[in-house]
Amino acid sequence: MSTPTPETSPRFRVGDRVRVQLTNPTGNPRTPVYVRGKSGVVTALHGRIVNPLDHRGAYPPLYSVLFQVRELFGGASHDTLSVDLHEDWLMSY
Amino acid sequence: MALNTRTEHGHMHDYEGHVEALEADLEYWRTKRLEPQLIQLHRRGVVTLYDLMRAAAGVPAPMAAAGESNSDIDTRIRALEDGLDDYIRNIGVASVEKLDYPFVIEDMRKERGDYDNFFRIAKPPHVGTLEGRVAQLEADLRAYQHLVEVLMRALLDKEVVTTEQIDRQRAFLAGRGAWNGARIVARAWVDTQFKQALLTSGREAVRELNIPPGRLGKLGVAENTTTQHNVVVCTLCSCYPHDLLGDPPWWYRDDGYKECIVRDPRGTLAERFNLHLPHGVDVRVHDSTSDVRWMVLPLRPEGTEGWTEERLARLVTIDSLVGVATALDPAVLAEGER
Repeated sequence: MSTPTPETSPRFRVGDRVRVQLTNPTGNPRTPVYVRGKSGVVTALHGRIVNPLDHRGAYPPLYSVLFQVRELFGGASHDTLSVDLHEDWLMSY
Repeated sequence: MALNTRTEHGHMHDYEGHVEALEADLEYWRTKRLEPQLIQLHRRGVVTLYDLMRAAAGVPAPMAAAGESNSDIDTRIRALEDGLDDYIRNIGVASVEKLDYPFVIEDMRKERGDYDNFFRIAKPPHVGTLEGRVAQLEADLRAYQHLVEVLMRALLDKEVVTTEQIDRQRAFLAGRGAWNGARIVARAWVDTQFKQALLTSGREAVRELNIPPGRLGKLGVAENTTTQHNVVVCTLCSCYPHDLLGDPPWWYRDDGYKECIVRDPRGTLAERFNLHLPHGVDVRVHDSTSDVRWMVLPLRPEGTEGWTEERLARLVTIDSLVGVATALDPAVLAEGER
């Protein structure tokens, strides 16, 4: 069900700093607005997840990207936010 | 919104909080779950509004319970809470997969305005005296329940679903529960190999516990350590590994929780949930985007050496699976057993 397809070669690796696109009309709309345009670090690769009950077709490979709360919302917090994002939303930093 | 009002059926001390939670939940289930589904079915001609009218002829409109308004407020609020549970269960049953109609959850999200306020279904204001609001809830709940029953009738009349499917769905919903989550956590506490499997391929790992892997995406497991505490949220809707773990705490869908927990994780845990984490512990929030549904693996409490898995599982609460609480203190359990 959730098996990543092996032939997928992901563009990013764990540890890469990436920036989230501001818009992506054809991408997964479930990308939180608060990370758009922001940068974070890839912490995990999930591959291409097959999830036919949730959405039609397959989205590009999925990553967990770690953001600093203070870079998203200001303040002095040391807390972090991990958001799962599809590859087409990401660009090299 | 007070977060600790809708507890077990014990002593009720905050009527206002209970009624507010009922209003929020009732409107949530109507505008986010039931009605977008109806609109979707109608648009696609599967069950149209006219089918609903025809079906309604065979489903008697509910009457106010005898003496409803004579009962004390406590009794009426409890009856509403039970009625709401029933309503939610029926919506779940009516949401059985429709044969031959390839609906995906994403359609529903678009339909109900998750990405576009234009499509949001309006909610009526809930104002007035406590007594008046309770009476309003009673009337609304009866009407909303009636609509679910009519929908169920129409689905069966048009043979979109079969009674067997409905029964299976009811049994499936009854079978899932937070107890699964507790069993998963307890096994991970006692079995390192299982824990590694859980962290890397959660859905496959839980089969070992005779828990079916569920139907959606991937299970993400965030492990709490002595230096990192994890919390789960879904800011866009309320993604959660329901298939595996049953329902999350009721406030998980509350917009107030979603907004606060991402902006100020540590502060929100302290202020809303009375969870004060030491400064050496980092706080990490996981916002689910539905392909991965997250749960937290809490820390095993000290003083539980040699405990059986079954006993350990009783320390795991649904709040601890979301990460707004630690697992229970073993002393609390011992207290209850005395």
